[in-house]
Amino acid sequence: MDPTPVAPAVIAHARGLVKTYGTGETTVRALDGIDVDFARGRLTAIMGPSGSGKSTLMHCMAGLDRATAGSVVVDGDEIGRMSERQLTRLRRTRLGFVFQAYNLVPTLTAAENITLPLDIARRPVDRAHFDAVVAAVGLGDRLSHRPSELSGGQQQRVACARALVSRPAVVFADEPTGNLDSHSSGEVLGFLRRSVDDLGQSVVMVTHDPNAASIAHRVVFLGDGRLVGELLDPTAGTILDALRELS
Amino acid sequence: MRRVALRGIRAHLVRFVLSVLAVTLGVAFVAGTFSLRAMLSSTFNDIVESSLTGDVYLRGAEAAGSTSPTGQGGFGEARNAIPIALTDVATAVDGVALALPGLNGPAVLVGADGVAVSQGQAPSFAQALDPADPTVRLVAGRAPVGPAEIALASETLAASGLTLGQTTPAVIAGTLAQVAVVGEVDYGAPLAGATVLFLDVATAVQAYAPAGLVQSITVYADPGVSPQTLVDRLQPVVTADAAVRAEAVTGDELRDDARAQIETALGFIETFLLVFAGISLFVGGFIIANTFAMSVRQRLREFALLRALGASPVQVFASILVQAAVVGLLGSALGVLAGFALVSVLRVVLGRFGMSLSGTIPLEPSTVALSLAIGTVVSLAAAALPARRAALTPPVEAMRDDVVVQERTLRWRALSGSLLTALGVAAVVLAVVAPESDGGQRLGFGAAAVLVGVLLLAPVIARASLGVLAAVFVATLPPIGRLARGNVTRNPRRTANTAGALMIGMALVGASSVLAASAQDSTRSIVAETSTADFVLRSPTAAIPADALAAVAALPDVEAADAVTLGSVLIGRPGAGAGGPGPATVVVGLDPGAFGRTMDIERTDGSLDRLADGEIAAQQGAAADAGWTIGTELELTSTTGSRTVTVGAIIDSPAIQAPIVLPEAVFDDLVPAAQAAVNLVFVKAVPGADRTVLRRDLTAAVAPFVVVSVLDNEQFASELAGQVDQVLVILYALLGLSVVIAILGIVNTLALSVIERTREIGLMRAVGLGRLQLAGTVMIESVLTALFGTVVGVVVGVALAAAMPTVFSDVGLTTLAIPWGTLGWILVLAGVVGVLAAVWPAIRAARLPVLQAVTVD
Ligand SMILES: Nc1ncnc2c1ncn2[C@@H]1O[C@H](COP(=O)(O)OP(=O)(O)OP(=O)(O)O)[C@@H](O)[C@H]1O
Ligand SMILES: [Mg+2]
Repeated sequence: MDPTPVAPAVIAHARGLVKTYGTGETTVRALDGIDVDFARGRLTAIMGPSGSGKSTLMHCMAGLDRATAGSVVVDGDEIGRMSERQLTRLRRTRLGFVFQAYNLVPTLTAAENITLPLDIARRPVDRAHFDAVVAAVGLGDRLSHRPSELSGGQQQRVACARALVSRPAVVFADEPTGNLDSHSSGEVLGFLRRSVDDLGQSVVMVTHDPNAASIAHRVVFLGDGRLVGELLDPTAGTILDALRELS
Repeated sequence: MRRVALRGIRAHLVRFVLSVLAVTLGVAFVAGTFSLRAMLSSTFNDIVESSLTGDVYLRGAEAAGSTSPTGQGGFGEARNAIPIALTDVATAVDGVALALPGLNGPAVLVGADGVAVSQGQAPSFAQALDPADPTVRLVAGRAPVGPAEIALASETLAASGLTLGQTTPAVIAGTLAQVAVVGEVDYGAPLAGATVLFLDVATAVQAYAPAGLVQSITVYADPGVSPQTLVDRLQPVVTADAAVRAEAVTGDELRDDARAQIETALGFIETFLLVFAGISLFVGGFIIANTFAMSVRQRLREFALLRALGASPVQVFASILVQAAVVGLLGSALGVLAGFALVSVLRVVLGRFGMSLSGTIPLEPSTVALSLAIGTVVSLAAAALPARRAALTPPVEAMRDDVVVQERTLRWRALSGSLLTALGVAAVVLAVVAPESDGGQRLGFGAAAVLVGVLLLAPVIARASLGVLAAVFVATLPPIGRLARGNVTRNPRRTANTAGALMIGMALVGASSVLAASAQDSTRSIVAETSTADFVLRSPTAAIPADALAAVAALPDVEAADAVTLGSVLIGRPGAGAGGPGPATVVVGLDPGAFGRTMDIERTDGSLDRLADGEIAAQQGAAADAGWTIGTELELTSTTGSRTVTVGAIIDSPAIQAPIVLPEAVFDDLVPAAQAAVNLVFVKAVPGADRTVLRRDLTAAVAPFVVVSVLDNEQFASELAGQVDQVLVILYALLGLSVVIAILGIVNTLALSVIERTREIGLMRAVGLGRLQLAGTVMIESVLTALFGTVVGVVVGVALAAAMPTVFSDVGLTTLAIPWGTLGWILVLAGVVGVLAAVWPAIRAARLPVLQAVTVD
């Protein structure tokens, strides 16, 4: 474990974040005034019961969805006021995103999927970095395969590699291990943690699994669209205690 | 399962609408083509019905050469003329209410603008206006009296811009006169663009029956007397004098004859439209099949899920077929409506070109039934194949993130496509090598086989060629060019299918542009090789008045004015009692001195000098067919008698569009002046004459006749070449239709493919693809697809058309011309088509919200 860090810089934060779905009687407040900071160069985990607003928070932080109220700042820029064009550029250059499922373009090979953001941004592929990322996910011999020829865990690792290859300021991962067994999930989590430790990435990740959350530097707990608690340098045990306390 | 099937339609409304649209397009094309055909034939039927209203007709008992080589006035098989006096004989018979001699012939009317009234190739003629005639009705003014007055059909009056009481020049039976328009007549039949003048009976007799002979006499029966009864009574009367050679027939019989004749005359258009209808069926079926294959593929996951929940393969299969039936029926019903709408538009367009067609578009039950059946059956058949695949999808597929359709190998298509193409090419080569034996038919079958073969091969070709086509975009628009290339090459089958309909359309466009250019070039080169005259006189109404010819010949600077006169006689062998006098054939009358003076004609045997001695010249092709050689004796029969002549020369000249050339003396002897038409006059100047002056003099000499133009060889060639375009108007209209359908087909497939790739698109956007970039990618894909279809189609079309001049050289298609400029424009057009087709799908793709796209099920 790291020694207690000197308050690391914040890579992304939200203030008074509100997101409502629907109108009138059926209004759902998925996010109900969230203030949260995510640290640079750290792995942050988000936990909470189903329907507590974790995915919604990730989508709003990553500019995939617009908040109803409040502000979101990523890498120093307020994204609430960004135009669609600016958001696109942000996603292309400074954000990485891993979805819970369906992450890959089926017609592209694993390697093509990984370099897709670079291709779109017309940026050259940094071979050394690419190799490092590929080595980290341990997919060296699978690069020319199509997604349909990869296992679920392998697909998620390809997705993680894609999120990291463009050296984004921050990576948001929504239950990257949700569909995986403990072994595959260990592979993906190990890779995320290494990318933080070795490559200096900032990663925010949603998970339901206390073991998965325990590899994070910090865990944030959501409930009913609000921030209900947090843990620094968690272990599986302290997380389970916290969850029991919250429910 | 029925609920699942119907919910499926509701849940995927856009996809459903697109499938219906595909069926609608396909069926509209079919229904449109068939009802156009029906409309054309009903127009001509209407003309027959309303212009031949007699109960009984008297006519010549023997077949004779056609009375009017230019097709002016009158229908029916040509027969010997009968004395006009028979009219009175018939009137005296009990039960006859009225008998009217058929008095009509060529005429030219000068409109208010000083130009001859004429619409396209439609005839221009005058006929007698008998106050008793029930078919025509005076609607304004009064009936003409004397040679200086005429009445006009309402349509003609409108087209001429003249008003009642106005005086204008007109050429009636070759004579120029100033006439006053005194009446307006309702002709009671669609004129199909014809110009119709009315004369008083005496003037008409003077002009068109100077020898007291007419082609037919129309007889109306008293009420209660049946036509057959009347025929029985008239027959003995008119055959009393055997020398008169007359007979009586019922109106129905004559009308059937006339219809049969028109049908033969329209055979070309008929065949053409049938071929086109076949193509329309093919294209329509293609678009429908394509759409169903895609939409079923998109829902494989859903079907796999149903299977996982316990649905049997049969249930899945049935649910897809139920949807297909709903789509097919709905789409075909809309398609029938759209088809009739298309024809209405086409009718307006053709009307602009002077072809007024039947007022109502016939809604033939057979067309409707055929269209509905085709739309539904093709939909079902097209859905059956993918449905079978869907039904057999292993349930485990539902669990996968992305159902990847097992891309079957292209080997089968490559094999069958190559085989069919090879067969087609062989047939075409055979047709080119030996055009004499069924060349046209072989070419047709070969072309069809090549087209279908290439269609089968298209995915294979696409994989090989799209990379090359895309290189430009990859180089100029790096990220999206590459993405677009990836999208079109990764699924060559989809690209090829999207481009298929356009490929067929463009093959037709390419072939007809080559055909048109070759026909024009052939015309030019034929004129250049044949005419050694200084000037050519020509009339758009196809007959140069005799007075005009005389006026030109009288000019001092004119050394010779050689008239090419057309007439028609029956040609047979002398003494060949059995088989009658032989078929009616168009013949050309020509001054033998014209050879070498104004015309250079290729002679293959015999000597053209012998024409001066009364012998005749035969075209090589016709002579070979009939077995004529130098010295063969032929018996020529016409309305005035018969005569035996000897073949003195065999010629090979596509410029003379008749199998036989008669010396002027023989021609004049056989064909009465009223039945001959001066087609062209070749003018040779006196040596040393100033051409500019001569031209001015010639123009002045023919000016009063309005319809005659003075052309040099160059202009003459251009005018003839221009006519080719007029003939092709309908062809172009149909081609336009097929290209429009093909474009809509591309829009359809493209939109479906955007839907198919919704999640992929969302993902791309999530990793940073901009909206404009996305739209650009879709657009480049579309342009690539359109270019692919166009290039392959045009190459096939041009290659096939290139075989035509060799196969059809005997009908005047002598040179091959490939219009590179036009083909270039077609490529540009393809680019535009691609962009246009992509607009809607691109907007749709760009509008997809990223999050929803990614999480779409
Ligand atoms: N598009 C939507 N329309 C309406 N309500 C929505 C929509 N998306 C999410 N919600 C609602 O917002 C709330 C938060 O949803 P969210 O997906 O963020 O939950 P979550 O914490 O990610 O849950 P899980 O752990 O199950 O993924 C839920 O009550 C959900 O029903
Ligand atoms: Mg969630």
